[in-house]
Amino acid sequence: MSFQIPIGPQHPALKEPISLRMTVEGEVITGADIRLGYNHRGIEKLAEERNWTQIIYLVERICGICSHSHATCYVQGVEKLMELVPPRRGMYIRYLVAELERVHSHLLWLGVAGHEAGFDSFFMYTWRDREIVMDLLEMISGNRVHYAINTIGGVRRDLDEGQKARILEGVAILKKRSEYYFHIGANEPSFVGRIAGVGMLSKEQAVSLCAVGPTARASGWDRDVRKEDPYAVYDELDFEVATADSCDVLGRVVVRVKELLESYKMIEQMVKGLPDGDIVVKAPRKAKAGEVVSRYEAPRGENIHYIKANGTDRPERLKVRAPTLGNYPATVAMLQNGFIADIPLIFAAIDPCICCAERAVTLVSARSGQESVVTMGDLRRQALARSKNAPVKGNAVWPF
Amino acid sequence: MTDAELIEKLKADLGDRVEIANPARRRLFLKVAPEHLVAVVTRLRDAFGLVFLSTISGVDFGATFEIIYHFSTPEQDYNLRTEIPKDHPHVDSITPVIPGAILYEREIQDMFGIVVDGIPDGRRLLLPDDWPDGQFPLRKDWTFVRPEEVIPGGKS
Repeated sequence: MSFQIPIGPQHPALKEPISLRMTVEGEVITGADIRLGYNHRGIEKLAEERNWTQIIYLVERICGICSHSHATCYVQGVEKLMELVPPRRGMYIRYLVAELERVHSHLLWLGVAGHEAGFDSFFMYTWRDREIVMDLLEMISGNRVHYAINTIGGVRRDLDEGQKARILEGVAILKKRSEYYFHIGANEPSFVGRIAGVGMLSKEQAVSLCAVGPTARASGWDRDVRKEDPYAVYDELDFEVATADSCDVLGRVVVRVKELLESYKMIEQMVKGLPDGDIVVKAPRKAKAGEVVSRYEAPRGENIHYIKANGTDRPERLKVRAPTLGNYPATVAMLQNGFIADIPLIFAAIDPCICCAERAVTLVSARSGQESVVTMGDLRRQALARSKNAPVKGNAVWPF
Repeated sequence: MTDAELIEKLKADLGDRVEIANPARRRLFLKVAPEHLVAVVTRLRDAFGLVFLSTISGVDFGATFEIIYHFSTPEQDYNLRTEIPKDHPHVDSITPVIPGAILYEREIQDMFGIVVDGIPDGRRLLLPDDWPDGQFPLRKDWTFVRPEEVIPGGKS
């Protein structure tokens, strides 16, 4: 007997509302269908009626976690269209904020992953540490979420010596804590047992479904825009692309922990090597007709903006593709043959969650049409109960 | 391989089916006629390793639509463009070749009213279920008219 379970449109495990309809056979998911558009705000249409500077603040509002990634992706494209070369100090500050943002996003995600796997002390540790980086971002830009530090031709705020010292202090603490997370698997075999083998996405699937970011890298596909198409300062920095080949949620945790350590390395390099000089050059009001494809490695994967200018002060077309959209086809593949109890974990593995409200999942019986409402908390408790009885997977080993 | 060498290789392989432009380093823009699109994408995937599609952009030019397929490999960015007339907006689906293209093709169907022939799953993706037919928001001539609000049960 097969059931259909609608999950969403309102759902706590996703930052955007999305509707997923699962077909389940007993406990096993046999089909997943996706429906988007519940949070469609018409930003691409709106951008055609705003000028180049206004759009920075518009695209920054696409995402609440990686706001800087959209603004930077847009700004670096417009700078190419206007043939501007921002000063190096401005570039360093811009990408310093980008790496700090990656740190805060990954720490947030690690906490959510720990929470969904029933490892709540991990969640509390990482979210406590995330406050350090949030405070640093607030100190640099004045804001915790929408930093608004980018402008066409550079950045809007400079760093002084005291701020540089505080960034290095904060990063030193975070580094120590993240190294602890690095070894946490050795002490917590139940955490590893819960996340190993869940949400499998083979490399072939990841390639054919065009997965991006840590999702693709956890399937052994080492695509990283920072390395393969090094924009701005990334060809001057020393870092490595983090990958894992276990193709499951464990791999996605490993990739993100490794990326945290790489980001700390880059932040230290950028703060120590911060060049002197101006932070911004004056930008013209209009851009020449032309087109540009701007790519950026956001915390969740490749972010791409296609900008077409027609010689006026506003774009002819701005196309935005956020990394999450690129990962949806892969999400459907990961859910196939998974368990209902793993849905929260697989969801969380794709996308961080900022929503704290307790929402409901409705279970509809395919035969009788009868609905029963289960809260997300119950679903998580069921997940924990199921994994408690399941044997710890014998081959699951923390890879460090 | 430099950009120039790659362009030579692409020209030798694909012949006069494509026009190649190289406006910036690592950025190639290939223009292809809509009838050759699927053949060229298949050839590029098999011979040049273009397995990763970033997204598909649509641009409204008034009388025509331009559709741009943004591919990338670790070495290069390929942007494959094709132009179709607005009064007969049909393009062939590349989803059989690149399975990850499905959501982007559904998106351009919703937003531009471009009909993607042979798409495996052509349902609406982004627009609401009660969205009127024939309204395509990203067309330049589309303007939003707020529908009159209907209060269930009438105004009190």
